[in-house]
Amino acid sequence: MITIPYLTAVSTYFSYGLLFAFGQLRDYSRLIFDWCSTNNLQGYAPICLAHEDFYIRRLYHRIQDCFNRPISSAPDSWVDVIERRTTKSTRCLNLGSYNYLGFGSFDEYCTPRVIESLKKFSASTCSSRVDAGTTSVHAELEECVANYVGKPAAIVTGMGFATNSAIIPVLIGKGGLIISDSLNHTSIVNGARGSGATIRVFQHNTPAHLERVLKEQIAEGQPRTHRPWKKIIVVVEGIYSMEGEICQLPEIVSVCKKYKAYVYLDEAHSIGAIGKTGRGVCELLGVDTADVDIMMGTFTKSFGSCGGYIAGSKDLIQYLKYHCPAHLYATSISTPSAQQIISAIKVILGEDGSNRGAQKLARIRENSNFFRAELQKMGFEVLGDNDSPVMPIMLYNPAKIPAFSRECLRENVAVVVVGFPATPLLLARARICISASHSREDLIKALKVISKAGDLTGIKYFPAAPKKQEEEKDRIKLD
Amino acid sequence: MYVRALPTTDVNRNTEWFTYPGVWTTYILILFFSWLLVLSVFHCSPGMAWTIVHLAHFTVTYHSFHWKKGTPFGDDQGIYNRLTWWEQIDNGKQLTRNRKFLTVVPIVLYLIASHTTDYQHPMLFLNTLAVFVMVVAKFPHMHKVRIFGINGDQ
Repeated sequence: MITIPYLTAVSTYFSYGLLFAFGQLRDYSRLIFDWCSTNNLQGYAPICLAHEDFYIRRLYHRIQDCFNRPISSAPDSWVDVIERRTTKSTRCLNLGSYNYLGFGSFDEYCTPRVIESLKKFSASTCSSRVDAGTTSVHAELEECVANYVGKPAAIVTGMGFATNSAIIPVLIGKGGLIISDSLNHTSIVNGARGSGATIRVFQHNTPAHLERVLKEQIAEGQPRTHRPWKKIIVVVEGIYSMEGEICQLPEIVSVCKKYKAYVYLDEAHSIGAIGKTGRGVCELLGVDTADVDIMMGTFTKSFGSCGGYIAGSKDLIQYLKYHCPAHLYATSISTPSAQQIISAIKVILGEDGSNRGAQKLARIRENSNFFRAELQKMGFEVLGDNDSPVMPIMLYNPAKIPAFSRECLRENVAVVVVGFPATPLLLARARICISASHSREDLIKALKVISKAGDLTGIKYFPAAPKKQEEEKDRIKLD
Repeated sequence: MYVRALPTTDVNRNTEWFTYPGVWTTYILILFFSWLLVLSVFHCSPGMAWTIVHLAHFTVTYHSFHWKKGTPFGDDQGIYNRLTWWEQIDNGKQLTRNRKFLTVVPIVLYLIASHTTDYQHPMLFLNTLAVFVMVVAKFPHMHKVRIFGINGDQ
């Protein structure tokens, strides 16, 4: 639930109105100028419709330097950010990478094994899974992932986004119904649109509204014929990457069981990051994995690799292996990356002989809770549930997006800012991702810099928590 | 003073911003401040200023609501390319609160403009023409209708 000061909402709409008005004015002047000049492309159709790239040309390009910043080192807790148009790079604190468990840089167990696998199997398999691209490492990986997630079988693809957009069309087609959360990721939206099924949206993380939508849709049936739906899939995510909220899985699963709909859980951000042994949102909320029909996840966040997986029953995975284009035609995941995932899972489960995995999981939980509590004490509006390593700080006004980003970079802290259209128009935010490799000093430095930038840009929308209680406690201790 | 922003079920990012709190107030405040601006720049009578605001409002809103089609970004792969903003809002559902508000505003502006100019010509004629076009464009029956193919697709 996002609470906005009313004045901020009004001023944000006004700012966007002004930006759009100036953009339109510039577009019209450009039109008049271009009428006078001639171009030698007579008869060619334009590459994109005139207004389709209006937002990119007139709004995004004004603050282009805040996005797409190139880096020149591994995405560890400190990263080298290159200054544009030079070869210099500055060492900045990395608050933007999805490096939840710290596997994004050299790891004493994983990296030697990855190098060994690179020497033995080479960087690419040069083939799709069904032709010649399945090695023993791939088979071990699928078994490892299935055991880790708690399902009978799993299938692994080379790209996380493509896992969603290639698998959903295989699972459901015309005559089926997909009910997805309103804040689902673009990959799910693309997959759903590509499948040809009817799509309905339910209010974010609201099981009551999901039930209402299910009832309505089951009663109405297919759009014109009113025949019963062939199948219904409800798609939710474990942690929503723009809100940091954890899905209300137990209620959603019980609603779906009542109406006999399938549950598709996208654990891109939650696998490996939450839960006592890192097994994701099912472990955290105590949901039996047999109740969730299809569990999907990616290896790019907590495991420091690439690719995605789908875990489910043996029949489902067998069916996918015969029909999914990502398995039949796309090149398989490269073998060293697969080895990285296997080693990362072994570290998390403690099978490498040390307790580094448990330490990492405890550290990320501590770091996230500490950081979130401190930010809220300073008066920032921070979204997300406790234990979630993703914390968006609300900015709202479009001018604060580049101001906050540039000010933080000046102080050597690299943050990711997101605005429209990835987020709703009003709700621009700076998204912080905490990692297990951040030390307490790193977090304190980050807090200082963010507090200073927050004061300069005026984003402390809530009153700061009073410090009097701490002083009183100290006085009592001295007495 | 804080308001709660509940997430909506509208997937169209082009129209979803209209469902959040504060939009109606901003719209009315922009009209009021533009009236003050016109008064201070042109040194005309209040009635003339309201007429100018009404006609400018007609031009701007007709162009952005009923003429421009599609969305200003390419993420949605062009599924709304045949629909104007007015046809996209609220997922095409007619007679919602937002649509009723947006229909009432030009009518109220017309009443203020014609009252403050004492119903004199030629302002009355221009104002009446503007409000007639605006209101007819917003009728539920005009959903996806292109008269004589104006603004139709190739």
